[in-house]
Amino acid sequence: MKLRLRLVVSAITAAAGTTLALMSMDLRARRDEAAEYLIANVERLLAAPGARARCEAAPMAWGPPNEELFGKGILHVRPERGGRDVAPPPPRPPLLDPRLRPVELFPLDGDLRPAGEQALKLDRELLRTLPGFDAVRLPSGLLNDSVAVLVKTAWSGGPCAHVYARGHVGLISRRLRPLPWLLPVASVLGAVLVTMVPVVRRIRRLADAVEASAVTGFAGEIPVEGHDEIADLARSFAAASRAVRAQVSATEQREASLRDFLANTTHDVMIPLTVLQGHLAALQQHEQAEHAGGGAKSAPLTSAMDEAQYIGALLQNLAAVAKLDSGAWQPMMGVVDLNALVHRVVSRHQAVSRRLDVAIGFAVPDDPVFVAGDITLLEQAVSNVVYNAVRHNRAGGHVAVVLDATATDRFSLRVSDDGPGVPADELARLSQRGFRGGAARTRSPEGLGLGLDITSRVAGLHGFELRFGPSEPGGLQVNLEGPQLHPITERRSRSPGAPRCRPA
Amino acid sequence: MAKLIVLVEDDVRLGEQIVARLRLEGFTLVWRRQGRLLDPHGLDDVALVILDLMLPGTHGLDILRDLRQRADIPVLVLSARDDSRDKVRALRLGADDYMTKPFWPDELVERVRARLRRPTIRSGETISVGPLRIDLVEHRVTVGDAQVELTRVEFALLALLASNPGAVRTRARLAEELLDPDGDATERALDPHLSRLRRKLGATVSIETVWGIGYRLAPGGER
Repeated sequence: MKLRLRLVVSAITAAAGTTLALMSMDLRARRDEAAEYLIANVERLLAAPGARARCEAAPMAWGPPNEELFGKGILHVRPERGGRDVAPPPPRPPLLDPRLRPVELFPLDGDLRPAGEQALKLDRELLRTLPGFDAVRLPSGLLNDSVAVLVKTAWSGGPCAHVYARGHVGLISRRLRPLPWLLPVASVLGAVLVTMVPVVRRIRRLADAVEASAVTGFAGEIPVEGHDEIADLARSFAAASRAVRAQVSATEQREASLRDFLANTTHDVMIPLTVLQGHLAALQQHEQAEHAGGGAKSAPLTSAMDEAQYIGALLQNLAAVAKLDSGAWQPMMGVVDLNALVHRVVSRHQAVSRRLDVAIGFAVPDDPVFVAGDITLLEQAVSNVVYNAVRHNRAGGHVAVVLDATATDRFSLRVSDDGPGVPADELARLSQRGFRGGAARTRSPEGLGLGLDITSRVAGLHGFELRFGPSEPGGLQVNLEGPQLHPITERRSRSPGAPRCRPA
Repeated sequence: MAKLIVLVEDDVRLGEQIVARLRLEGFTLVWRRQGRLLDPHGLDDVALVILDLMLPGTHGLDILRDLRQRADIPVLVLSARDDSRDKVRALRLGADDYMTKPFWPDELVERVRARLRRPTIRSGETISVGPLRIDLVEHRVTVGDAQVELTRVEFALLALLASNPGAVRTRARLAEELLDPDGDATERALDPHLSRLRRKLGATVSIETVWGIGYRLAPGGER
């Protein structure tokens, strides 16, 4: 149950309890007063001249009409027993209302037996418990509005030795005035609300502050108000959020320093790797000069070039994964010229693919195709696909990279090869990290199997669609599709130009 | 035409390699090892700047910014950090292209050539590629001194390929642009036109088939 609802229920319960207590007290007071009133009036009746004779003559019909006895203003004079009348007390509203429930009078004999067959049963033992009484009020239940009195007559004998009188005051007082009743009830309600509403409001505010802080990774402080238990709770939340923040910050720092370390290491490795590739290329030139009319390629040199290419790709893939796996890293989205990107990627793999005797051809539209993306990640994603097509090919094989702009403002990039292809049941799993495929495409070690996983994640990050399928001659075909961007093409004149194609 | 290339690279071994390789390819180079703004006086002779970014002294991006305020010389940026920020900044500052280390010398040579390549000679309505001359107004084609008679489709096909020599045209795009959509406009319908065109042009003009894509006109007469 919500605290607010619980508060309302509590307030209503407290008010109802207070009302019942007040009603009970009021009923008791009115019954006391009515009993006194009843006794006084019965005694007055008995003190009247000829009362005994009238009663004993016809006990069942004895007694004046109710109107006369208890009606408004009739019995405002209280006589002393056997004495003379005294000055009348000020009139007050009748406690016993004869119009609703008439007052009943029962003359009883010395053993409390009523005259005739009257429907009244009193225990005779009552007399023993009330020794030497003149008039007594008989007990009644807690929420019972009846008042009963027993008056002993002065002559104490015959059928009219006692008179039993019974009246009703009504559960709710006829002279009830709202203010004295409403005031305590309203006070209770008010007290509950005044105490609890600010408490509920503070709890709500604290909950909002904790939620807001949680959304920002507990970056914001949780405010502590007051010095009570709610303040203690807020302090506990603040302490917990500080602990979380410290933990997150430590993790972020660790991640950032790891990223920096990786970036610096990568940077430090990339330069010697470029130099190494330069040396390998020089060796290749020597080889070509020696075997000027053609001749066998040195297998170790081919392998060394391939491995150097692989190490470079692996380092770049590790850097890409470090970014993609990091919670704190955000891609740097900008305008990417896909024509230039395709050109760079094909150019990156030409040296090794020529050495492996795999021809890469590419085509791009005359007008540059722009997309929104992170230039490094997109380039790495496309590079992995092209590299995969080169690496898993055979001597004399081909790779085609075709960028096209479709009429519906989308681009389509197709990379197909005539290598051994991938069995249909493995196609869907190609983009999973660590998946290396069956025997057909595991000619060489695949490192961590990162390449196509990165491509798939980068495509997802950019909202592009990546599909793997068989190419026409039975190799693999990879399609990447997505929306084009139409920026102000001020860089068009600067985009890398010809040559559009360099088939090996 | 100026052929001077300015290389700004602090790594000695890499710098030596680049200089040696590009000189071997016939280019003239000036190598600067320090991060310093380029001297504005010699810029007129510079055809291309190859600029490393992480340099001792002035950062490569500052050199680029300064250069762009003075001249519109093509700039090829070399970056060892595989980070989008550097690339995006370099491209925004006016770099023409970038290369991420590691790269192969062939790759660099190709990029340098691409930057320095003469545009296709197109005087008025004439395209010239090696011995091939196409008069777009008169619809006349000559190879050397010999005139070649072409059909409407053959002429359009050749003009399209020659408009960007070296660039591959996809079969799908060629079929779409050249063939009558009401007739047989399939990619296969291109084949007879192409084989007739090749036969008519002879051996000196080469229309190459590129696997899985389409055709290109070999950029004759160019290195």
